[in-house]
Amino acid sequence: MKKTFKVMTALVLSAGLLVGCGSTNNNTSGGTNAGAGNEKVTLNVWGMGEEAKTLPKLADEFTKENPNITVKVQSLPWDQGHEKMLTAVASKKGPDVIQMGTSWIPEFADAGALADLTPYLSQYPELKQENFYPGAVESAKFGDKYVGSPWYVETRVLYYRTDLLKEVGYEAAPATWDELSDAAKKLAARGDGKYGISIDPKEQSLGFMFARQNGAEWFTPDGKPNFNDPKFVEAVTYLNSFYQNGSAPKDLGLDIIPAFKEGILPMFISGPWMIKLIKDQAPEIDGKWAMAVLPKKENNTSLLGGSNLSIFEYSKNKDAAAKFIAFMSKPETQIKWMEHTSSLPAVTSAWENDLLKNDPNYKVIGEQLNAAVPMPVIPEFARIGETYLKHFEVIYRNNADVKKEMDAFNDEVVKLMK
Amino acid sequence: MKSFLNKQAPYVFIAPTLILLALFSLVPILVALVISFTDMDLGGLANFENIKFIGFTNYVEVLADPVFLKAIFNTLFYVIIGVPLVVLCSLTIALLINLGTSRIFKAFRVVYYLPSVTNIVAVAVVWSYLYNPSIGLFNYLLNLVGLPDVPWLTEPTTAKLSLILLALWKSIGLNMIIFIAALQGIPKSYYEAAQLDGANVWQQVTQITVPMLRFAIFFVSITTMIGWLQFFEEPFVMTNGGPLDGTLSVALFIYQNGFKFNNFGYAAAGSFVLFVCIIAITLVQLKMQKNESDMT
Repeated sequence: MKKTFKVMTALVLSAGLLVGCGSTNNNTSGGTNAGAGNEKVTLNVWGMGEEAKTLPKLADEFTKENPNITVKVQSLPWDQGHEKMLTAVASKKGPDVIQMGTSWIPEFADAGALADLTPYLSQYPELKQENFYPGAVESAKFGDKYVGSPWYVETRVLYYRTDLLKEVGYEAAPATWDELSDAAKKLAARGDGKYGISIDPKEQSLGFMFARQNGAEWFTPDGKPNFNDPKFVEAVTYLNSFYQNGSAPKDLGLDIIPAFKEGILPMFISGPWMIKLIKDQAPEIDGKWAMAVLPKKENNTSLLGGSNLSIFEYSKNKDAAAKFIAFMSKPETQIKWMEHTSSLPAVTSAWENDLLKNDPNYKVIGEQLNAAVPMPVIPEFARIGETYLKHFEVIYRNNADVKKEMDAFNDEVVKLMK
Repeated sequence: MKSFLNKQAPYVFIAPTLILLALFSLVPILVALVISFTDMDLGGLANFENIKFIGFTNYVEVLADPVFLKAIFNTLFYVIIGVPLVVLCSLTIALLINLGTSRIFKAFRVVYYLPSVTNIVAVAVVWSYLYNPSIGLFNYLLNLVGLPDVPWLTEPTTAKLSLILLALWKSIGLNMIIFIAALQGIPKSYYEAAQLDGANVWQQVTQITVPMLRFAIFFVSITTMIGWLQFFEEPFVMTNGGPLDGTLSVALFIYQNGFKFNNFGYAAAGSFVLFVCIIAITLVQLKMQKNESDMT
């Protein structure tokens, strides 16, 4: 309960550190030659989330190729990663290589915390932008700087229980918005405590994604927020209808995988990481579930997300760091990484691999990747997403007027972006 | 020379404390005050030159922010319901444990103190299962006796009360120990005299014990009140301020603005509003206590 003081102290200490360290980093601007020679270098790598725990396996292989570079991997949970990064920026001391969620790139690039990779492109051909999915490259650009190298990509697809959908008359996955809504209603009608689909109310990108599918533009041509556009409002109304007719739960309090296994939530929209989780945690339903591209309205554009690898601006081992990132971008490494964690390669040539070509699940994702766009690359977007969630909560909990809430939301964003 | 040393010696002894206090309490507060007048954000954190002084703008904005006002309302709700509950429950439990003579009551001190030493994250895991809307123990028990589900954490007012219940359970232990210590400081002779006069247990408690505990009650209420004004951990780990900002406390508002939205100046201004409120409320309480002690 004494957090106020802790928060204040933390704010202040960060400021203090800034004063203390401000003048010590003058000599890092010109890339040093560490790692290129025989000098021993230790690279600090920060990975995020569960999959980072597998990262040391690849790091060991990198060290085998480059015996003079030791890699120390620290894996941070996603929700603490942001705070750790703040501290690193404040103290100008931190990792050499950081895994960045694509949504974080703008704010940290804006603060000048990510090094420009352009000088390394000629030295390490693996980093060249034409190797990667264009959407992933777009998420790593900030202004005229190239601040991250795409590492893995993900896109949202529909997971569904084939057996349960068959029971309500669907031989294949719902292909349009109307079918999705209809299937969800029929599935929810199976009985008390059963639902049709999980629409995660805490997932901020969902509304924006559905609006895109409805043909809405997020911004007007002159760059003003356009979130109360009738098409956007229609998409949010559509999402809200799932809660209001009882086909999506507001507060279930169950994890998605057990709920999927028990048939409580026979459909959900999520990314490729769920494949491995379902296989590991719910082997009982093997063969009873499948994946499909998202249902269509005007289009079925999904979200393109993923992670990039960036070099921390204040790193003293930038050369070694670039070498490490280049290693991670090799198609072979990317395939290995996919085997370990089912993260999808951002390098297009890796998709030639049989593993990706023949697996029905990965095929779906590959197909969806052709219709996937990243969230807008602007520093304010994290805040915009939060604001959207607050208004969406009012909508689905109180069944408030969608148009009015979206008007209010748009007004707030206009203020935010000034 | 010797007298000089004698005069200076105490200062040498208190110096470490003073230096630590200044370094880790006073200086940070001052720097936070300075930050609250700036528009410091992530860019400012990385490079000092990006910071602009903007006067009282942060204060004006934060005091007009409906979310902040809601956080203040929630915090007052926590304080007004939570503080009397904590004092009352811990006092009652302390009295009961103190009255009991059997050895088992010693064990109960541990039982009641245990929540205070339990890590909040562990507490959150267990309590979120108790409160869980579909597989929670509380709703299961309610259903067993034919009552409907309670939206423990999913309806704004109920969620506030649920968090108070959790915080109450967690904070009884420490305050109970303070009360027990104070209870044992009351001379036995008072009770013996009262018993000779024929007073029953209830009369002994209300006429001797409670008046003698006045200072302990005052201490517990002031520390509890400050604690509840800074209510943070429970909403942070259990609800993250939701639903509909229904459990958002001022401290959590400050945290979210500072570390989630990178608005350090805004967060610092909010923390100063809270700081001033806490000081004001504590001063009023001290003043009231003084008047009371003058009367006796």
